[in-house]
Amino acid sequence: MRQSSLRFVAIGGREWALLGAVILASIVFSVASPYFVTAGNAGTIVRNSTELMLAGLGMTLLLAMGSIDVSIGILMGLAAIAVAHALLASVAPALALLVGPLTGAGLGLLTALVVVRGRVPAIVGTLGLLGVYRMGVFALLGGQWLSGLPAGLTELLSSTILGIPLSVLVIGLAYLAVWLALRRTPYGPHLLSIGNAEEKARLSGVPVTKVRIATFVISGALTGLAASFYVASYRNVEMAIGSTLALDAIAAVVLGGTSIMGGRCSLLGTALGVVLLRILQNGLLLMGVPSLWQPVVTGALLISVLALELPVSRLGDMKEKWMQR
Amino acid sequence: MTVPFLRATGITKRFGALTALRDVDLDINGGEVLALLGDNGAGKSTFIKILAGAHPQSDGELLVEGQPVEFSSPKDAASSGIATIFQELALSENLSISENVFLGRELKRSVLGIPFLRRKAMRERVDGLLHELDAHISDPEAAVGSLSGGQRQAVAICRALNLNAKLVIMDEPTAALAVAETRKVLELTRRLAGRGCAVVLISHNIADVFEVADRMVVFRRGRKVAERRKEDTTPEEIVSLITGAHPDVRALEQNNR
Repeated sequence: MRQSSLRFVAIGGREWALLGAVILASIVFSVASPYFVTAGNAGTIVRNSTELMLAGLGMTLLLAMGSIDVSIGILMGLAAIAVAHALLASVAPALALLVGPLTGAGLGLLTALVVVRGRVPAIVGTLGLLGVYRMGVFALLGGQWLSGLPAGLTELLSSTILGIPLSVLVIGLAYLAVWLALRRTPYGPHLLSIGNAEEKARLSGVPVTKVRIATFVISGALTGLAASFYVASYRNVEMAIGSTLALDAIAAVVLGGTSIMGGRCSLLGTALGVVLLRILQNGLLLMGVPSLWQPVVTGALLISVLALELPVSRLGDMKEKWMQR
Repeated sequence: MTVPFLRATGITKRFGALTALRDVDLDINGGEVLALLGDNGAGKSTFIKILAGAHPQSDGELLVEGQPVEFSSPKDAASSGIATIFQELALSENLSISENVFLGRELKRSVLGIPFLRRKAMRERVDGLLHELDAHISDPEAAVGSLSGGQRQAVAICRALNLNAKLVIMDEPTAALAVAETRKVLELTRRLAGRGCAVVLISHNIADVFEVADRMVVFRRGRKVAERRKEDTTPEEIVSLITGAHPDVRALEQNNR
């Protein structure tokens, strides 16, 4: 019998396939470019993955709920501006780290008010907010870069505890917290029942509105945390910040086996999807493909996964119906 | 005389200019299976939605065990002991049996303010209920999407029992089932009544109704047109009441014109 969709960490076929793809891509790129397997390049891939790991975690929850947020890139931009100003105002780095998730949670709440309270389809509501937030970033930056930011946050996140960088620990803790919430608290079944069919969830007594608002706030907080990581890595904020984040996050999450239709998710899949996406982008860059091609590759990957997957899941449904007879 | 579990008096439901239900009086007793019959649009679905708390009535009163109640949501109805098994079975196919049975009312234990699920306790409870119903489902962790139609009905009934429901409303429970599965669900229905539950059953299948119901109520054009005990009627009479060919219904409809 097919098991419940709540088996997030059980390594299934999807996760093994992704792991295989990561290894295969690594082999191909290390043959193609002598720089790929250097320690420096591995560090680059890890560093480039951190924001997407966090934003992708939030996107996993949204997609599992049958929702989406296409404004997360610019949301990260706004949160990054807040973090940057906190650093410029000489706020302690540990507090500056928290400014990101707090700003993100606030913006997530605003998104929730529009999408959940305003009863606007998530894709349209967040697209509208994308426009509004973009103007916000422009107004706040005034066309200038916020650069030469203090190094305090950078030092904090690269400091190590028992040899593990704090940045890696924070990401690990975020995944663990979300896993516990999904697997060990009512939030998990509630979220997935909404993703499966919102009306049925409501009839069953699931507090649908509350769960939907909470999920936008959690996703906002995780994307805001990504903003703190961004500021720590780059120590500047510019107009184009986060312009490919939503695309990258949706691609990585869907690649990871979370259903775009809702009702199913894999946290391990998301993490592996992020790593695979970043390795592909990095490897292509090393092979001399201009970085402008990255969104093309990501977009093509997203479309191919969906195109290949939907007929398969339909086939699965048909098979299931057949078995019932 | 004992108080019925639920008494509906003068229930009327208007949707704008349309009156979907007019002045319905009905008593429902514990331990009996009451069938609601009627053509499409006769008002039976509207009536059970009012009982289930999905729509508020426009007029009229509901008494549960003699006390007036007002339902503004299915949750209110559930807290009065009324559980509804909708035709489309409000089950989440992607969740397990035990997650479905407890969905929206999970057993929790608070650790540092975080509501952790008591998964083992929930699994054991569901295992017990499945046994009691003799549902032939061995693994409460199986996804509901992998179950047959009849097994899903059993899960929905478990959900109702787990609510300590005293009135279970079943909307077309056998509509999409094969013969053997229909048998099983009718057995489950009788077993529910045997436990002292009141069961309200909506069905178009007269044979099923005669097999399982103690009492039948016929709706037509938003009114209750007849009420019969099973031993006092025949399938032919019920059909003529539904279609309006019965003299009583004709007389009634003449008067209301």
